[in-house]
Amino acid sequence: MTPIIIFIPAILSAPFFPAIILKVKAFFGGKKGPPLLIQYYTLAKLFKKGSVYSTSTTYIFKLGPMVSLSAALTALMFLPISGAAPLFSFKGDVLFVLYLLGLGRFFTIAAALDTASPFEGMGAAREAYFPIICEATTFMIFILFYRLTGELTLASFFYGNHPLELWRVAGAPLAFVVTAFFIVLLTENARVPVDDPATHLELTMIHEVMVLDHSGPDFGFIEMGSFCKLFFYAAIVSRLVFPFDLGHPAMNLAAFSLIMLLIYAAVGVIESVMARYRMDRVPKFVLTSFALAFVATIITLEFVK
Amino acid sequence: MNSTRAKGMNMDLFFLSLVLILLGGTLAPIFNRRFTLMKLIAVITLCAGCLLGLVDAGSKLIHGGSYRYAFAYLNALSLEFQIDALSAFFLTTIFFICFCSLIYSFHYLNNAEKAFRISVNYMLFSLLMISMALVVAAGNIIAFLVSWEIMSLSSFFLVIYNYASSENRQAGRLYFIFSHVGAMFILSAFAIIYQHTGKFGFIDAASLSHGAKLLVFIFSFIGFGSKAGVFPLHIWLPHAHPAAPSHISAVMSGVMIKTGIYGIFRMYAILELHTPVFGSIVLSAGIVSGILGVVYALGQHDLKRLLAYHSVENIGIILMGMGIGMLGVSSGKPVMAVLGFAGSLLHVLNHSIFKSLLFMGAGMVLQKTGTSSIDVLGGLLKKMRITGTTFLIGSLAIAGLPPFNGFISEFIIYLGAFKGVVLTGMTFVLSLLGIVGLAVIGGLALACFTKVTGVVFQGEPRSRAAENADEKGVAMLVPMVILAGACVMIGVYPEPFILMAIRGIDSLNLGYAVIPLEGFVAITGSLTRAVTAFFAVVLGIFALRVFLYRDKITTRSSTWGCGFTRPTAKMQYTGSSYAASILSFFKPVAPLSEHHPRIKGIFPEETHYFSHVHDIAERYMKNLTVIPVMALFDKLRWIQYGDIHLYIGYILLAIIVLLFFI
Repeated sequence: MTPIIIFIPAILSAPFFPAIILKVKAFFGGKKGPPLLIQYYTLAKLFKKGSVYSTSTTYIFKLGPMVSLSAALTALMFLPISGAAPLFSFKGDVLFVLYLLGLGRFFTIAAALDTASPFEGMGAAREAYFPIICEATTFMIFILFYRLTGELTLASFFYGNHPLELWRVAGAPLAFVVTAFFIVLLTENARVPVDDPATHLELTMIHEVMVLDHSGPDFGFIEMGSFCKLFFYAAIVSRLVFPFDLGHPAMNLAAFSLIMLLIYAAVGVIESVMARYRMDRVPKFVLTSFALAFVATIITLEFVK
Repeated sequence: MNSTRAKGMNMDLFFLSLVLILLGGTLAPIFNRRFTLMKLIAVITLCAGCLLGLVDAGSKLIHGGSYRYAFAYLNALSLEFQIDALSAFFLTTIFFICFCSLIYSFHYLNNAEKAFRISVNYMLFSLLMISMALVVAAGNIIAFLVSWEIMSLSSFFLVIYNYASSENRQAGRLYFIFSHVGAMFILSAFAIIYQHTGKFGFIDAASLSHGAKLLVFIFSFIGFGSKAGVFPLHIWLPHAHPAAPSHISAVMSGVMIKTGIYGIFRMYAILELHTPVFGSIVLSAGIVSGILGVVYALGQHDLKRLLAYHSVENIGIILMGMGIGMLGVSSGKPVMAVLGFAGSLLHVLNHSIFKSLLFMGAGMVLQKTGTSSIDVLGGLLKKMRITGTTFLIGSLAIAGLPPFNGFISEFIIYLGAFKGVVLTGMTFVLSLLGIVGLAVIGGLALACFTKVTGVVFQGEPRSRAAENADEKGVAMLVPMVILAGACVMIGVYPEPFILMAIRGIDSLNLGYAVIPLEGFVAITGSLTRAVTAFFAVVLGIFALRVFLYRDKITTRSSTWGCGFTRPTAKMQYTGSSYAASILSFFKPVAPLSEHHPRIKGIFPEETHYFSHVHDIAERYMKNLTVIPVMALFDKLRWIQYGDIHLYIGYILLAIIVLLFFI
């Protein structure tokens, strides 16, 4: 039963954490910032509304939000949130989860191209481009983890005190992995310095411009989907930076929540202190993550024989 | 002709199906004056032959074992055929795809004025089917080479179906040269075998010396690679596929190029040399083909050319699986070997399904709009719902996304490759590159197929032709639905298909005892469960959506133009601009040449933009081989300048010289 008890609150709390980013940004700007439950209000408002559909669109436009949300939710089912056992786990589920998120991306892009809007096409082209490098990084990291553990499931990497084992065997190079994964988190979830969710010019956006035409509950699904996706990546980072198992699920959950708050705050700090990169610079930034993961693998080659 | 029967009635069923196919092909030209009747007779007879062959191959695959059959042609040349599990696997694929393609052709070839040409097309098509089946059933060198040659020639004539266009003739010529240079390499590989063993049989090849085996493998890899479309021997592919009629492209890309893969598998099986060199060659070639194939595909403006480059990519993935299997064998890891080979074989089946589906979709678009140029299409999904939806399914499958079949085979190859990264040395490095390569290929294929579906089927039509399209022709829609169904079925319930592929590699002579299958069955079971969980979530979300939209007002309006109020269809993002930023990343291997006059003045003149992505293989092959060879032959022109006396002199000279050798 424990997996379900953890899973449902985890999903329900996913919209809470992004408010931390907003709060931190407001703090840096000397403002008060929106209330902590802002995203819940937004979702409730969106779910109450009706929708306007563009005459250019087809059923793919309505399918897009559903598939991307479902993909993110299903991905979370395989993740040991706060180190507790996941809902599902099987040999190679890492690959399934990554490709499932790819399916979500396919439909987000397809829904954007459905509108015939040149701006959304622009965003879609970027959304198709940058995650390619992210995928290479993620696979590089999983190659390293596979060498360390001999397993290929999210549970074997992040369950209980398994991450501690990773640190013990790999040592300092794992810090590279954490950094690399954090870069992937920023890229996949359209955060500064790759994408600026708060920018006002459609030309410079990636994720936000792709969902311009969605409205009402459909848009709510998209928002929820991106909260879940950010939660997924942040939860992985949290397991890596806090690899301990405190012995009791409740204590683990408390520690996990705290670390999650810190990670989201870190994202907020990054968004406050730096600007978005020029679009042609972004690939270099994302490639850094690949280089880090690669170096980490090469270094650990000597340790793990 | 006398024949000896080795085992049961089954083999006869195989030949009966071929006879039926030959009959269908022969009947077509006879009835060419009655257009519809001719098509009906041809399609029904050929389909019946395919179904028979499918049933036979399927039962052979299930029952296992090997079936031998021998003819002594003219009492001199012995033609031997042997169907083992590997052959049966390929036969299943061949007959299934040909069956779908035949149904499709009924409405696709609809120009009654070209009745004769179409009837000849059916005849050549039947020859192609027979020769493909015989290639994978061949049991000795002679049978193989004869079938191979018939296959190359019949497909050559099918490519130049529209011979009036010089572009198509050129494509045909290129294909002809490549298939024959390839055949020469295969011939030399076989010649080495014959020289060492003195026999035409494949079985004897295992007794070759180590060095000879290496040479045989490399020669045959080049030869079969040029048929399969391995980089850099792929350059005929993007020319020949767009030139051929779409149902032929579907068969050529779906199954014919796989005979090259079959050849590599077979050579590996008969040589029985488990050296890491083979695995390294195949895996490296796979990675290079895979990545470059999809990069070039991204840069294409023609739908069928784009799909042709994706064949290069998928052949790359198949070779990656095969290479991982070979490395598994050479490093003594049976599980890795089985995963690699099984993934590779399953990808052969999967690729043949989704690629022929995509070519059929492209054919529908081509027939209804008259163009296959991506950037002038758009919005077709609204008019062509079935074509568009099946094409979308095919796109998801080829991008390797769950819950479709492409994911299953890539998943198994990944698992095999991950087994390789815990090893050391070259196997580690190549497995690592394989995994990262596969990840990058997946991402690029996703980009490429969002481009295709997005620009061709979604958005607003960019031309009058795209606006007026429809999808008439049940015979064209049915196979697309069948194939799309197969994509979903293998994706959701992969168990029988994975077991089929594992059975297919039984005949590779890996030198292991029986490999326990429980582990593999467990993998398929968990994939099915995971996909079911995903479907359950989708259903839940769908229910929630229905609930949230109950008694809501939804209105339709134009797309938000970010403040601009007079958008036109021309302002949409084009496929070229969609791919531009990714291509610029790959500039060193995919140089882009652009042509557009500068915009000058306050009231600029009308302008245009044209871009072309160069295939470096094409460029270098031209510079390094074609031009020097032409220059050499230019210098040798004096040998033959049209004087008949000189030619007679040559003949005399040749005879005199030969006298010294007798």
